[in-house]
Amino acid sequence: MEKKAHLDRVYKVSDDVVAREIQGEFILIPVTSGIADMEDEIFALNETGKAIWHRLDGTRTLKEVVEDLSLEFSGSTENIRNDALGLVGELLKRKMVV
Amino acid sequence: MRNRFIESTSLANLKILQKISQKRKLVSFYWEITARCNNRCRHCYNALTAGDKLAQKKELTLGQIKDIAHQSVGLGALWCSLTGGEPLLREDFLDIYLSLKKAGLLVSIFTNATLITKEHVRVFKKYPPRDMEVTVYGVTRETYERVSRNPGSFSSFKRGVALLRKENIPIRFKAMALHSNSHELPAMAQAYRKITKDYFRFDPFLCLRIDGNPGKNNQIKSERLLPAEIASLERNDPERFTALKNNCSNLINDLLSYSNCRYIFQCGAGISSVYIGYDGRLRLCSALSQPDCVYDLAGGSLSDAWENFIPKIRSMTSANKDFLKKCKTCSIINLCMWCPAHTYLETGALDKPVEYFCAVAHARAQMLGWGRINE
Repeated sequence: MEKKAHLDRVYKVSDDVVAREIQGEFILIPVTSGIADMEDEIFALNETGKAIWHRLDGTRTLKEVVEDLSLEFSGSTENIRNDALGLVGELLKRKMVV
Repeated sequence: MRNRFIESTSLANLKILQKISQKRKLVSFYWEITARCNNRCRHCYNALTAGDKLAQKKELTLGQIKDIAHQSVGLGALWCSLTGGEPLLREDFLDIYLSLKKAGLLVSIFTNATLITKEHVRVFKKYPPRDMEVTVYGVTRETYERVSRNPGSFSSFKRGVALLRKENIPIRFKAMALHSNSHELPAMAQAYRKITKDYFRFDPFLCLRIDGNPGKNNQIKSERLLPAEIASLERNDPERFTALKNNCSNLINDLLSYSNCRYIFQCGAGISSVYIGYDGRLRLCSALSQPDCVYDLAGGSLSDAWENFIPKIRSMTSANKDFLKKCKTCSIINLCMWCPAHTYLETGALDKPVEYFCAVAHARAQMLGWGRINE
């Protein structure tokens, strides 16, 4: 199981997770077992995380995702790149992206 | 776990729940996907026979269920409890279950476990339910089947529970306390608490039939424990006693002051949850069957029911002086089984005192050492 994110790879959100936005909170609900450590664990993403999540559509590399985000978000490309690598790494660990 | 991008939390600590705690928002709903049941329990307020073709014909189809589930997600609902009847009696149960899970709902299942198969367990292992509440009726075959009136059901129940436990599917247990099984309640508590990581609870209140069937209502009344028996059972069960003592003040919704108003509905029904019947008729809770309080989803939408219909029901007021004087000013209302739904089933009105409920509340108050309560 790959646990480190790479900029030249293409990632797609897993069908085993449902993303929902409720009351301004963006949450990820595991559908299958093996994603959460606890039985009732739910995951929430911040605004940056949400923007990255929506772009993990299986059609573009993470580098292209970062370039796209740079057009929308202020801040250095380096920071955005680090954010994207950090989040996708976390999601890979939890099998939330493939 | 918390880092810069992603935060994990238990359901109880979810920020959404904290945000809406003082608002009227749909969080959860009970879904009676069939009213049919393979058991014929003496005390059941709801179930129809397994072979009831008319009831089966009225059941929502998988397509209708998916549509309503989609509407519920649109309203922000997070949690759905599948109930019945016996939900596993539906041949398309697993399709229903998976469609709700894949819609992003947390799904709980209320079942008697007698129809659990290896296929169910295989699916639950891969797609875990939020929890499963298994109804129990006794610890011996004789008592269990005296209540279920379904020969062979005790061994089917034991087999079903064993299958679930073998694969570590989280289960908890619930028993109704009635004359036919009350002698086994302490043994039930001991046996079932031993094999659950969650809880065993019992409920001594036998609700009358939704369909008002007079013969079945008489049978339910004959199974009801006396107020002193209920208080004694609760006193002798440390978990139940502590929960009642610590939490009884939470039974009335904080959003609404109980006294000094004429509102009939003071509970949480329709504040954060609703109940959907097998035929698509929405109620505020499982027992609220008064015709004016029922909304047919076939002729409307969940959104219309939630935004327009339910607030009208919750704004109903009482002009019954007896009720306003006796119940609205009662200092032990939190120990009472009174609610508009149960009262309608008992009296045909939403706002009348019910002598049996009153007697149970006073027996509980005495048991809790609250002294003599002046009415």
